[in-house]
Amino acid sequence: MDFWVTIILMGLSFSVLLFLLSSGLSLIFGFMNVLNLTHGGYYLIGSYIGVSIYKWTGNFLLAILAGAAVAGIIGVGMERGFLRHLPGQLLDQVILTMGFLFIFTNLAKWIWGPVPQMAAPPSLFARSLHIGAYSVSVYHLVVIFAGLIVAIVLWFFQEKTRFGAIIRAGIDNQEMIMAIGINFKLVCSWVFCLGTVIAGVSGVIGLPLLGAYLESGSEILLYAIIVVIIGGLGSMQGALAGSFLIGIIHSFSKAFFPPLAFFMMYLLVIIILLVKPSGLFGKRS
Amino acid sequence: MKLPEQLLHKNRVSFVPYIWVGLVLIILPLFLSPYLLYLAAKILIFAIFAMGLNLILGYTGLVSMGHAAFFGTAVYAVAFLTVHYGIGSFWLVALSGTLGAVFMALLFGLFIVHLSGAYFLLITLGISQLLFSIVWKWRALTGGDDGLPGIPRPDLGLPLPMGNDTYFYYFVFLIFIGSFLILYKLIDSPFGHALVGIRENEPRMKILGYNTWWYKYVSFIIGGGFGGVAGVLYAYLIGIAYPGDIGLMASVMVLFMVILGSPGTLACPLIGASLLITLEYIVSTFTAERWPLILGVAFVLVSMYFRGGIGIYLVRYWRKVKVLHGIPKS
Repeated sequence: MDFWVTIILMGLSFSVLLFLLSSGLSLIFGFMNVLNLTHGGYYLIGSYIGVSIYKWTGNFLLAILAGAAVAGIIGVGMERGFLRHLPGQLLDQVILTMGFLFIFTNLAKWIWGPVPQMAAPPSLFARSLHIGAYSVSVYHLVVIFAGLIVAIVLWFFQEKTRFGAIIRAGIDNQEMIMAIGINFKLVCSWVFCLGTVIAGVSGVIGLPLLGAYLESGSEILLYAIIVVIIGGLGSMQGALAGSFLIGIIHSFSKAFFPPLAFFMMYLLVIIILLVKPSGLFGKRS
Repeated sequence: MKLPEQLLHKNRVSFVPYIWVGLVLIILPLFLSPYLLYLAAKILIFAIFAMGLNLILGYTGLVSMGHAAFFGTAVYAVAFLTVHYGIGSFWLVALSGTLGAVFMALLFGLFIVHLSGAYFLLITLGISQLLFSIVWKWRALTGGDDGLPGIPRPDLGLPLPMGNDTYFYYFVFLIFIGSFLILYKLIDSPFGHALVGIRENEPRMKILGYNTWWYKYVSFIIGGGFGGVAGVLYAYLIGIAYPGDIGLMASVMVLFMVILGSPGTLACPLIGASLLITLEYIVSTFTAERWPLILGVAFVLVSMYFRGGIGIYLVRYWRKVKVLHGIPKS
């Protein structure tokens, strides 16, 4: 029974990482019509900066802040300097963002070297909790809990605040919000910043689970892509539903039939494509 | 009875630059070392690969990030048939490899060709990576990340052994010319024009009565076929099947080739392939470690400052040169 609990917890904590990443991807696409394939790269930045700060200061919270800040700054820089000039041009955006992903990954290799870096969870959480007869890793619980908090905060933000209303309106009809006087470019930078900051945080949180390694950029990007296809681009609920599904499937498949892990996910993707092409919660078109 | 304007009107496409390029390609083996000749053959093969993507992307407007799925399928098909089953007949293996790629396109195209830009892109990315992960994990069949070596040069039944790099280069060159002519015929036909129409304004084509799904599907399959032919040749060129040929990296490389060469033009595949493979060669001689970094910077530069691709500049340059020499514009 221990085994099942562990699998579920590992799956759910991976879901949290995926949710943090794919909500940013989805939001950026929904609002700005930009397919940001660099997003995995921000996870990578977060994890490498985070691991360095953590090893240097021993303070996990500081590592999270640092990872988030660096990812956010680089993200805004990329948006203002480059993406801003390619509105709506899918092909160019894809090439640009892939280019940045390559650059980030290779720079990380240059600075930190090719060997993956692991980090132990902060000592406060590096224990096992014993519930009855079962023993679970506290850190997994913390991650899941943190993920729930973030999901609730994001929901609140989107539904109850003015900025959230602007975002929802922008996802629905870009031209209209420009017409009523919203400074679209400024909001775009903020949205992009928000997305990349969350990705950076995700990178640091994922350190005790996955470590900091060079392939993390493209690997986690691929999972995030599956999540947004299933959940629908532009939708928070979609990202939540999708990451939940993928996290669980991933964990179970790895436990029972490792080679079939990808198969299961793509099967789900094909089913979604046949039944509801824009994803479970996706906006039309 | 042709109208006078029609008599004066020259062919839209002047074949002269292409003939020059063809001549250069023919005499190339006289000047190149064996390794450079191998690179030249690789360029021609990737040009065929890019022709397929050019059809799908440049002419039909479908942004596919999974083109290597077809290429890699053919490479591995050739590897299986020659290494595992020891089939010696080139034509049988080549046909099977190409059909394998076409089958992939038939299968996947069915589900995805109706999707809009971003979704289509993400799905093709996923398909390419799905095949990559299958190939990577199924070590027993594919050798995983060790690859599947041991593919011999093809036996064409001619007195010219393909083990000789020069003969193989000419063989690849012939297939390249053949592919180019097929592509030209496709583009310069009602079918090709319909594809361009779909790229430019699909709703309008639908209103005019075109079954756009069918056109997109067929172009996807043909594009996959070109990828398959390229894959077959590549397997014979390098003699080993490697997962990198079927995954995201290869798909992104060929996508970049098409973009470099200006998608939607005839010259695109060769220009893009030669530029990228030459760049890779030059950079690798100095610093193999930083190649992804340089490639990334190239991506950023091209997407920001050379949006139409470099091919357009070359075409304009050619036209300028012709005007300077007093040759009337074509």
